[in-house]
Amino acid sequence: MSEIKKLIDETGAFDCVECGKCTSVCPVAKVDTKFAPRLIVVKALEGVDTNLAQEKEMWSCTTCEICNKMCPYKVDFTGFIQGLRSQAHDAGNFPVLSQAGAVQTMQRIMARGSKQNRLGWLTPDLRVKEKGDVFFFTGCAVQLGTIYYDRAVELRQTPASIVKILNSAGIEPVVSNDEVCCGHDLIWTGEEDLFIKLMDRNVETIKRSGAKTVVFSCPECMRTFEVDYQEFLGDFDFELKHISEYIMELVGEGKMHFNKGDSKVTYHDSCRLGRHLGIYDSPRELLDEIGLELVEMPNSREKSACCGVNAFANCSEISKKLQHDRIVEAIETGAQAMLTFCPKCVVHFNCLLNSPKSMTENEKLKIVVREFGNAIAERLQEGG
Amino acid sequence: MERSVLVVGSGVAGIQASLDLADKGVIVHLVEKDPSIGGRMAQLDKTFPTNDCSICILAPKMADCYGHPNINVLTYSELIGLDGHKGRFKAKVLKKARYVDESKCTGCGECLVKCPTKGIPSEFEMGLSTRRAIYMPFLQAVPRVATIDREHCKHLTEGKCGVCKKVCKREAIDYEMKDAVLEFEVGAVIVATGFDVWNPMVASEYGYGRFPNVFIAMEYERIINAAGPTSGHIRRRSDGGEPRTIAFIQCVGSRNVQLNHPYCCSVCCMHSTKEAMLAKEHKDDVKTTIFYKDMRACAKGFYEYVVRAQRDYNVEYVNSDATVQEETEDHNPVVSFDVGGRSVRKEFDMVVLATSLVPRATNAQLSKVLGVQLDEFGFIKSKDRIFSPVETNVPGIYVAGYCGGPADIPESVAQGSAAAAKAAETLVEARVFA
Repeated sequence: MSEIKKLIDETGAFDCVECGKCTSVCPVAKVDTKFAPRLIVVKALEGVDTNLAQEKEMWSCTTCEICNKMCPYKVDFTGFIQGLRSQAHDAGNFPVLSQAGAVQTMQRIMARGSKQNRLGWLTPDLRVKEKGDVFFFTGCAVQLGTIYYDRAVELRQTPASIVKILNSAGIEPVVSNDEVCCGHDLIWTGEEDLFIKLMDRNVETIKRSGAKTVVFSCPECMRTFEVDYQEFLGDFDFELKHISEYIMELVGEGKMHFNKGDSKVTYHDSCRLGRHLGIYDSPRELLDEIGLELVEMPNSREKSACCGVNAFANCSEISKKLQHDRIVEAIETGAQAMLTFCPKCVVHFNCLLNSPKSMTENEKLKIVVREFGNAIAERLQEGG
Repeated sequence: MERSVLVVGSGVAGIQASLDLADKGVIVHLVEKDPSIGGRMAQLDKTFPTNDCSICILAPKMADCYGHPNINVLTYSELIGLDGHKGRFKAKVLKKARYVDESKCTGCGECLVKCPTKGIPSEFEMGLSTRRAIYMPFLQAVPRVATIDREHCKHLTEGKCGVCKKVCKREAIDYEMKDAVLEFEVGAVIVATGFDVWNPMVASEYGYGRFPNVFIAMEYERIINAAGPTSGHIRRRSDGGEPRTIAFIQCVGSRNVQLNHPYCCSVCCMHSTKEAMLAKEHKDDVKTTIFYKDMRACAKGFYEYVVRAQRDYNVEYVNSDATVQEETEDHNPVVSFDVGGRSVRKEFDMVVLATSLVPRATNAQLSKVLGVQLDEFGFIKSKDRIFSPVETNVPGIYVAGYCGGPADIPESVAQGSAAAAKAAETLVEARVFA
């Protein structure tokens, strides 16, 4: 019980006035009548349920954080869920993982320190360094593109695209074979001990490189560094930057030029980049810079809808419904493609688009969902 | 030593303070930035918990104020400077040119119907109807004189037109009028500048500005008013139809730490109850629902008022915060709320948001002019919240009404009287020690 009390303190849950605004905006609660963010917190507050760690409902949360943003009293519901999941894991309460937990298994293997060839995507034309000011944290896009080759094979190109972009501005980033997964999915499914191992390895790798700035393309990696790592380790002395912010800086310095495109796209604010990190403007400025016309969906920025799944846990018909609604919203804008930085959003939306039409009951679900970094690289001016 | 007081703001608090002082024989300079005195209370339809017609009980006080031999009413004016100290302040007031001679205009309204520049959103009607370039803000405006809006007037902007001058039989129109700076000495100052209505467009979860049939409470007050833009018929923005179901959402932007409005606005439990009752009085088959966080009906007769709404007016109270994230094809807003941890969605014909009432945006500027401190939210700070509620950090400057923090009409009136008593005390002291 004391662990719950600590959690109540840390997340400001005590301030909950039980107004229910979180429920009214929660995407899961709209579909799942058994789930509401405040119910779990209220049970903890009232001390009625002393066996909260056994609660199955906590795995339904997609941790999209819309409840946090809308809560009048700033209760950190998502943080509460994260803490609770760690206790649940210790108590033997596990979620159902997609692909029999393939992604988590991969992360566990990395945490145990096996040999790897993480830079297999590196081609001779890409210029990278072993030590330097700018570290590019590649993330697991290549691995995801391999596991989900049927729906998001383009993710295998993402790190190469980002390096190509940086090279065009004369920047040779550090990339490292010692980099491992950031551990995002492990901390969100409660495996804190393995998460810490991954964290320590990554931070040591970055420190060894002497980097002053770490650039991320994957919103989940960046959120994990910015929030979770710094919570464990205190503030870093290197700067964390999202690629969209970094490119806009380079554009401002006149170091980067793009061929202007002419297609219409819509932009999906992934929860990690948007609500968790507050980065809404730079991806939009970037779209303007590469000459793509942005058509906004009604639910955008801090109200952005959810891709339906977090950490590949508890994917269900509810996830499918959320994906379906978001895709319909994107199609209704008249855009040819929906761009997003989060590789997992790309996987999840394409999962819906690739599923048998009898399942979605809609023949008209046709839109391209693409990873943003690859779309930028295509517009690069050679020698620019 | 000055036997006069400056009152800034002529809402119900400022009016009360002015009348109290004037009746004691004190000269009052009442400064109002709008063309008419009356403030927010003049915009309201009814008052709670008695359901009195708001303007009917305020208008006599407005008229008393304007006609009082001891009150110098300066409308369309702003305080721009204050020097000196308690007992002897030197005030500088900018009297904006209204291009109509107040002493000649009889308020006959001839110019108001002839002015060709139409379609300017009416500030008093919360933008729900339009006015012309020469206008009187509302029917019972005091002083009952017209004002030319210099931004829109064709003659003042382009040198054309001149219709109002032609039709005015009293020759009251004066396009050559200039802004004037008036200076006078006063012994004390009372600040009663009221509140701004928070704009819920910044919080996209309420759909205001996105869905046509979502209104804010101040708009609703004008809609149900017989003298309002729809002559008292409740009408939807999308099709002009009369709603059969209305949802009222409480605490929109107030009691919200994220928006730095952690305070309770102190009036919305009551005004929404009143508005729900009135809907039923206007049309018997209207069904109203109020979504609330906590029911804070604490003052005398307030809880009974809520019970009456439930019993006699069939108002449904739902204990949940609510949001409006979607609408149907025929523009019916869909309200999402929480029933025992279950997410429920319900369609309504109209939604009224009880928005937070916030400090005036101009308070920062005013605090510089007066030297008074603001509290952490931007309201004017009292010297001591318990024993000196109407005193500010500057001796001789007092505060009354909502500009000092949430207050309803009776509280604002009480504070107006309290500030007047304190100001009078200052004048007596000044006379004794001069």
